[in-house]
Amino acid sequence: MPASFGRYVRRRREALRQQDSAYSVRQLAQRIGVEPSYLSKVERDEEAPPSEEKIVRLAGELGEDPDVLLAMAGKVSSDLKRIILARPELFSTLIRQLKDLPDRAVSRVVREVRDGKW
Amino acid sequence: MIELKRDVLVFRFPKVHEDAKMRVDFQRTLRIPDDDKDYPLPAGLGRFPLRHVDDFAQRVPQKWIDHGGIMLPMYQSEALWINFSAGQYPFAVKVAAGKINAVTGDSWTDELHREPQDYMVVPHQPWLDGYCIEKGLIRQFVAMPLGSGYSAEEQITGEAEHGGLQIVVYPLKPELYRPVARMTRGGPMFEAEFLCAAAPAAFDMGLAPGGKMRQEIYDDTYELSDWNQERSSRCFVHICNSLAWRAVTQEAPPTTPLTAREYKNYGIPWFEYYADDAKAVQGSKLLGKLKSVAQLGKEKGDVPLPDNESIQPEKIVQLRKGLSKGQVREGTF
Repeated sequence: MPASFGRYVRRRREALRQQDSAYSVRQLAQRIGVEPSYLSKVERDEEAPPSEEKIVRLAGELGEDPDVLLAMAGKVSSDLKRIILARPELFSTLIRQLKDLPDRAVSRVVREVRDGKW
Repeated sequence: MIELKRDVLVFRFPKVHEDAKMRVDFQRTLRIPDDDKDYPLPAGLGRFPLRHVDDFAQRVPQKWIDHGGIMLPMYQSEALWINFSAGQYPFAVKVAAGKINAVTGDSWTDELHREPQDYMVVPHQPWLDGYCIEKGLIRQFVAMPLGSGYSAEEQITGEAEHGGLQIVVYPLKPELYRPVARMTRGGPMFEAEFLCAAAPAAFDMGLAPGGKMRQEIYDDTYELSDWNQERSSRCFVHICNSLAWRAVTQEAPPTTPLTAREYKNYGIPWFEYYADDAKAVQGSKLLGKLKSVAQLGKEKGDVPLPDNESIQPEKIVQLRKGLSKGQVREGTF
């Protein structure tokens, strides 16, 4: 069974907390700007995942990729939505064509920061 | 491989280990007074925007295209710090400004060296704010126009050739990987209130040594051979004068930096970071001999730093690696 958003967040937070008590529910909730009781409920999947902004902050705190965490919450980041909506035909075709490719093949089209001659 | 995501450089080494991911961003911050006093760490005030130089090939110098990499905008006399937000996988990270190593003052080489140590270990080292001039003390990175003579590069080599920042990252060999703790340094995030940019200016910037700040660069507790030096990723970070940013990118530059007075009035905290279990490197005698922007400006009869009055830091937040229960790690803003 794939990890739910809440379970995944809790597992990552508790792993970090083993080394650093700043990853208590209370302190982490404070840093991302939510109530500790709310974060605790989210971790138990008793509340829906928080807003995009809070998830991005959570990802930063947990050292996770924000897009991955957003996807686990069933969301797509608003900047991606803007990109698709700006050129819907082009990007919907592109995404559909890439959907069945293996990761290695897809990563070939991911734009890397180019290194040159120093 | 390095990707640029939401103004963050993401270094990934999927063939080394699935956890081998590290993020680097460049934080806007207060330029601390350059007054020979030493200050705690100022907060991060939001990320600098990062752009691929290739996207603006028609409007940036050819040498930037030759170098590859990315660019960010800075105002003259603005400061930055580098935020290493790794997960738990250790990396050796070497940073130079104008191809002058920020830890040793030596000229750039890709390889890691131990005597003296010319790199940092992330996530043990959460941030870098400047040039390591002595044990536990740095001089803040302050942007000055390349060619004005203030940058460390120009003071050491006499040439204004490279500018910008250079970063190379090496992952630990995967068989030695044990998860380690990381640290964050908070600050308020100011929403951009964009200013109208002035006419295009000479835009290649270098980083000069500014005011003194208490920050340790930690000794590597691994062996040099523990780092996988066959797998590295490096990035040239060009610094574009914010006044030219709109002409180059068609985007508004960030707001002008906060002054020390505004920083104080907003009640933004300062930080002291302690890692009791870590030893610090000695610092560089070569870098220690550099003149700060204010010192050099005085010699030139120039006033390169506006708003350089001394301040008394208030609201100092103690950050301690490996916090025990109940210790304060971040302030409330």
